[in-house]
Amino acid sequence: MKMDYKIRAEELGFNYGNKEVLKDINFKIKAGSFISIIGPNGSGKSTFLKILSRYLKPQKGIVVLGEENLKELSKKEISRRLSVVPQNILLEFDFRVKDIVLMGRHPYINRLKGETAEDIKIAERAMKYTNTLEFSHRLYNELSGGEKQRVILAQALAQEPGILLLDEPISHLDLQHQVEILDLIKKMTIEEGLTAVAVLHDLNMASAYSDYIIMLKDGKVCYEGEPEKVLNSTNIAYVFNTDVTISKNPVTGKTYLYPISTVPKKIRNVKVHLICGGGSGLELIQELVGNGFGVSTGVLNIGDSDWAISRQYELDIAEETPFLSITQKAYEKNLELAIRAHCIILLPIYFSKANIKNLELLMENSLKDKTIYILDDSNFQRRDFTGGEAQSIYNKIKTQPNVVLLEEDELKIALIKADEKNV
Amino acid sequence: MYKSTGYIKNILSLSILIMFLIICLFVAVGIGAVDIHLKEIMSIIFLGENTDNRVILMDIRLPRVMISAVLGAGLSAVGGVMQGVFKNPLVDSYTLGMSSGAALGAVLSIVSGIGIFGYATTGVFAFLGAVATLFFVYFLSKTKNRVSINSLLLSGVAVSYFLSSIISFMMMLNRNKIEQIVFWTMGSLSSATWQKLIFSSSFILPGILVLCFFSRELNIMSLGEESAHYIGVDVEKLKYILLVICSLIVGAVVSTGGTIGFLGLVAPHIVRIIWGSDNRKLIPYSAIMGGAILMLSDALGRVLIQPAEIPVGVMTSIMGGPFFIFLLKKQKTKGA
Repeated sequence: MKMDYKIRAEELGFNYGNKEVLKDINFKIKAGSFISIIGPNGSGKSTFLKILSRYLKPQKGIVVLGEENLKELSKKEISRRLSVVPQNILLEFDFRVKDIVLMGRHPYINRLKGETAEDIKIAERAMKYTNTLEFSHRLYNELSGGEKQRVILAQALAQEPGILLLDEPISHLDLQHQVEILDLIKKMTIEEGLTAVAVLHDLNMASAYSDYIIMLKDGKVCYEGEPEKVLNSTNIAYVFNTDVTISKNPVTGKTYLYPISTVPKKIRNVKVHLICGGGSGLELIQELVGNGFGVSTGVLNIGDSDWAISRQYELDIAEETPFLSITQKAYEKNLELAIRAHCIILLPIYFSKANIKNLELLMENSLKDKTIYILDDSNFQRRDFTGGEAQSIYNKIKTQPNVVLLEEDELKIALIKADEKNV
Repeated sequence: MYKSTGYIKNILSLSILIMFLIICLFVAVGIGAVDIHLKEIMSIIFLGENTDNRVILMDIRLPRVMISAVLGAGLSAVGGVMQGVFKNPLVDSYTLGMSSGAALGAVLSIVSGIGIFGYATTGVFAFLGAVATLFFVYFLSKTKNRVSINSLLLSGVAVSYFLSSIISFMMMLNRNKIEQIVFWTMGSLSSATWQKLIFSSSFILPGILVLCFFSRELNIMSLGEESAHYIGVDVEKLKYILLVICSLIVGAVVSTGGTIGFLGLVAPHIVRIIWGSDNRKLIPYSAIMGGAILMLSDALGRVLIQPAEIPVGVMTSIMGGPFFIFLLKKQKTKGA
């Protein structure tokens, strides 16, 4: 049904002078939902919000509130339908909280009559709802950031709008107040049936509170949908040019993003070569790089997840075309990287005829003076798909004097010790 | 409900202010080259008695004192409104160059001898000067639809200097009219008449009423122009109306009494300190406060160095200048 949509935009386009800020924006927002608009700086989020509130007039396209074209409404009519909460409001001349909240009644007040008992009742209710009634006589500038933002929310509520637009409403608040304000807005959408459209910078907050997310990049809607669908590492990498890993908030089950920093905590002199593949090296690669070790990997098939992360960190890789057995060329590259490293780590990978050369490598004479760490020695048998050939090589390797079997946490200690000795 | 208690408090404050205004009026009427006692004033005004001082009181003192009240009220209401419009405590008709513009307009009409509007010619020119200067300063400081307050103040001061030097230049060229011109630049009420009182009041008092009429919108403007827009205020139209009314008032003030500096800055601040920044109170209270202050300043100017007279514009600047510096310093420490 048409009426289900509170705000609708069709083919919105906007430029500042020659600069195209928004192009061809289409969307529909359902009544009573919490929508977040996310995107990098300069992606047009704030402009988008300013067009929804008709502060800016789009050169192309239309915005429809319910069934009314925004263009055909007067300023007062618009302000009875939607209110806007900015990042923060600074006052040069101070006013009492109740006066500020009452200002929200302006679109309803007759100039000659002034505010009626009804207006005062509505303002009081708005203050009660936002927990600001208790300091309604205090001056705005004396309040804390969170209190100020609640007062502005009370003012917005006193406007009795159907739609609440919020432009980074929490960006200058601490965690406690961020949660407090977003909780309040969420509550308004559920209890009062308000439709909230918020520009948010914090993706995890957007994930936690939104029913729907619109992701902007370069003035275009890039992705939109429910948070768990839109917020994935591929989309984030594309829109924000930042690598993240995704998991779920253990309490709420909401999607949670962790940014990956590629800057190591410390630079170390120890170089490590990893024999990995099939995702076995994912965590260790990040851990080692993050701790400042020099890392190389091999032999990995192009497209393998270990290969992908190695590329991301710009590591030296001995690589091979997918589904091919390791060629002599790749083997030699692998050996070369291993010789350059101070030690070699064998991860619990699966062995087939195609990659058995990765195991044979460890018997090379030129590696006799390098320490070889083997991680997770248990159940090698189950990882052997060569019919015992790999197992027999493996058994031989284990008898070499330069081989150490250990667990992952022991490995880190051993490597750090090696680094200290090296210095 | 807090509305009713606020109502009573308002009436009380307003009564106190009006009492203060009346006391100032009697003091200002009473002192001068000849002191007239309260008893005598009362009997002349209310009983129509014909004492020695009747002519002094009715033809000279009373129109002068009442004109100073009206001009003071106009300047202070304008100051309060402009501080609200520009969200800056350092703005008034003087700092934005409007007063100098009005003075230049008045001087131009005197020097050129144009009389197209008859008696009101000087007034019309003063008004046009005020409007033109205000819009020029506003235009100068406007970049990309935004008016930065710093550039507004800077261009106001710069334009003000420029206009003052043109006035000085005209004084040089028209030595025969120098006394008349000095009157405009220094601000003086010595030529007050009942006719002038009626002329200036008929612009200033309705002007103040209109300003009061928009006080609710002006309050909302304090949230910032963008927020005011979202609450349904037509910001550009409001600014336009208010500034034109302000120019009209300043034009009427300057054509009657010349440039009277700093009053429009000081009076609203005294009101702010006592009653806060709600424009619904600020504008009328500033008007009364400013009227009282200007009456007292003019009276002081008349008696301080008798038999000579200090022009009222000089008096207000001497007292207002230090106050302005105090405000500037206060704002700086607040900003730091």
